[in-house]
Amino acid sequence: MRLLLVEDSVALADELTASLTRQGYAIDWLADGRDAAYQGAVEPYDLIILDLGLPGRSGLDVLQEWRLNGLATPVLILTARGSWSERVDGLKAGADDYLTKPFHPEELQLRIQGLLRRSKGLVNQSLLAVAGIQLDEERQCVVGADCTDIELTAAEFRLLRYFMLHAGQILSKGHLSDHLYDGESERDSNVIEVHVNHLRRKLGKCVIETRRGQGYRFAGNEAVA
Amino acid sequence: MRSIQRRLGLGLFTTALIVGLAFVQIGFWLFENGLRQYLRDSLVAETEGLLVAIVRGPDGLQLDEQRTHPAYERPFSGRYFIIEIGDHRWRSRSLWDSLMPAPPTPGLQAGLADGPGHQQLLTYRADYRRLGQTIAITVAQDYTPLLDQFSRVRWYGIGLGVLALALLLISQRLAVRRALRPLESVRQQVAQLQKGRRAELDATVPEELDALVHQINRLLAHTEENLKRSRVAIGNLGHALKTPLAVLVSLANRAEWEQHPALRSTFLEQLQQIQERLGRDLGRARLAGEALPRTYFVCADELPSLFETLRIVHSSGKNMAWTADGDLRLPWDREDLLELLGNLLDNACKWARQHVHLTMKQTDEGYLIWVDDDGPGIDEDSREQVMARGIRLDEQTAGHGLGLGIVKDIVDNVAGHMALQDSPLGGLRVCVWLPPKAMPAKA
Repeated sequence: MRLLLVEDSVALADELTASLTRQGYAIDWLADGRDAAYQGAVEPYDLIILDLGLPGRSGLDVLQEWRLNGLATPVLILTARGSWSERVDGLKAGADDYLTKPFHPEELQLRIQGLLRRSKGLVNQSLLAVAGIQLDEERQCVVGADCTDIELTAAEFRLLRYFMLHAGQILSKGHLSDHLYDGESERDSNVIEVHVNHLRRKLGKCVIETRRGQGYRFAGNEAVA
Repeated sequence: MRSIQRRLGLGLFTTALIVGLAFVQIGFWLFENGLRQYLRDSLVAETEGLLVAIVRGPDGLQLDEQRTHPAYERPFSGRYFIIEIGDHRWRSRSLWDSLMPAPPTPGLQAGLADGPGHQQLLTYRADYRRLGQTIAITVAQDYTPLLDQFSRVRWYGIGLGVLALALLLISQRLAVRRALRPLESVRQQVAQLQKGRRAELDATVPEELDALVHQINRLLAHTEENLKRSRVAIGNLGHALKTPLAVLVSLANRAEWEQHPALRSTFLEQLQQIQERLGRDLGRARLAGEALPRTYFVCADELPSLFETLRIVHSSGKNMAWTADGDLRLPWDREDLLELLGNLLDNACKWARQHVHLTMKQTDEGYLIWVDDDGPGIDEDSREQVMARGIRLDEQTAGHGLGLGIVKDIVDNVAGHMALQDSPLGGLRVCVWLPPKAMPAKA
């Protein structure tokens, strides 16, 4: 999952980038509203965390422009402006969720999780359950059928979560690396192949199908069961 | 202050009444004087006629009845005379058996004398010397028919006067109303302003009102501008303080703190206190209160988006609904009321099991807001405590929200009151009453 964080406070952005990276998200950080307006519309983000009090352009302005141009990426407003009228105005401008500062880091984490699932039409439960596979996002492991945990590496967790949130879709390697790495990382599509193989070994061969020349498709365990 | 219309009317009525009465009275006085002067002339001629009728007879002087007016012979005819010659005293036959005192001085008598049969007599006495004797001739004429006539005319006069006065008042009222129509329209606009049906006064008014209307509009714009500016400043201050606070909260949750749980909890506790205090006071500073705002709370516009916001914030799928009259508007600032309702509903959502219901209605005594939930409620003994000390209803629910504190601030600010009751849904009902805004009196 690749997230855009638009926040002008360097200290808070550092904190958030660190904690969100720990949770397996690829984070791009921008501090200026004008940059955000452009980059948010161009790069394929899965979610945007937007502060309202930005230098350059106000966050609400940027959000309205995105929505006017048909950008459908879920947007979570993260702001110090906590009055109800501001919340209502924020959601009217096209935000999908609204969190006021100061906040508990877990609260933000839960809201990002919930928003991502909601945008994919999934129910918000404690475990992400798709096609027979249950992923514990908190502990970053798969809960097996006999309630034993299958441990995952950070990279495997990120890949599996992305697959599960896009179940049934054909995802090319390029698409996957676009969404799993932030703008600054070195991208190597072979790495994805390696992680897919690791996941197959841990969860079963049919969990991820290979469509030759097209990419991968998450099938889950249901087809087998 | 009494209405201008009434004051003008009263002034005109008093003046017209005094002038009218004085005019009628003086007119009658002058007319009667003229009339009496005329009658005096005929009475003088009468005495002269009688004087001529006095002739020397066989037994001294006597009255030649052939020469006198026949009316002196008919009893109570209204014409009378008394002739005194030395000790002799002749009375006209018309006096019959009644007495008519001779006036002491010659000339037309100022008052009216009582005559026979309730007649009022105008009396004239003339003294002559004839045939070597002093002859005092007094003639009198009945004045009653004229008096009757006078009083009849006076009544007609009064009737006409009253009619004229009424016409005058009606026409003055119409004229004043026409002249004051712009004032009335401004009054109505101010009423609309207070009901929230208009944002500013119409600037096309007569020049007498121009300054007033412009000043009111400028004041409105100024209030609005001030409010906006202070809200922006408060927003910036909040942003400047809360962002570092967010960093601190985030830092406090780092793994490095795990070795010092006591330190961490004190740290978090203090941060929580700062956050609460900041939220409450910044929230209070944002309130518009009784200021006449330009944006009112229109239920049909605001409630759907507020509920949508609540649904997103509480993504637990609770059943939220509201009941309000279609065109209900509350004459207070939109942001204040959003804050009030947002906090109440937020609280209700935190506690409700399944249902949250908002009811808003306008009554003669003001505006009623009920927020019902089907949660555990608050037992009666604790309610007063909750209200008095402003304890947060969401004390046990972690996260954001300042609960009843800010709601109480808002309600106090507009001189309303709130109470906690049992809800028909089974949980708590927060009942808020907001007073109606005073309307200017109808002219």
